[in-house]
Amino acid sequence: MKNRIRVLRAEHEWSQAEVAERLGIARQTINALETGKYAPSLPLAFKISKLFNLPVEQIFDPNSMEETA
Amino acid sequence: MYEAKQTSREQAVGRRYFLQMTVLMTLYVGILFASVHALQSGNFSPLFTDLIGVTPALPMFGVVAAVIQFMLSIDELQRQVHLEALAIAAGVTAALAITYTFLEGVGLPHSQAWWAFVCIDAVWAISLPFVRRRYQ
Repeated sequence: MKNRIRVLRAEHEWSQAEVAERLGIARQTINALETGKYAPSLPLAFKISKLFNLPVEQIFDPNSMEETA
Repeated sequence: MYEAKQTSREQAVGRRYFLQMTVLMTLYVGILFASVHALQSGNFSPLFTDLIGVTPALPMFGVVAAVIQFMLSIDELQRQVHLEALAIAAGVTAALAITYTFLEGVGLPHSQAWWAFVCIDAVWAISLPFVRRRYQ
């Protein structure tokens, strides 16, 4: 699933490890999310949304769902 | 910027799991030697002999509990990776078990079931990096 996590992370000048620490997940999970290899669960998507203070639909592109399904 | 390989939470979970496994496997070896020694040197009733004989299996239930706790402590993707690897391990072990059962039917010696535990652990560990690669 395509998303803007990498861009948002860069805007905040956070490393993958920093974002992983803030979300309580593994760095590899952030990497998998950024590369679109993994679509997060709804609770994790909302945690990411809260971290970047943006609505979920402004971070994740629902039109790219079929690519990872 | 330096990227830590593991977050502090991952390190804490890993440390706890390693510590639990070390204690449980040490306990297993200790109980195994003690029970073998007891059975060789003592004269017990059949019931007590069975109880002493089964005691080395007790730490294995602790291993199962430690694995469950580990699975519940990691994040959703890492859990998915581990569960996929564990499913492969269960499938391979089941396939090997049924294959050897047929071979026993044509004369190969009867095998003891403990190898299934070792097989699941080994295939789980071997398949983990291959499963992980799918998400990199």
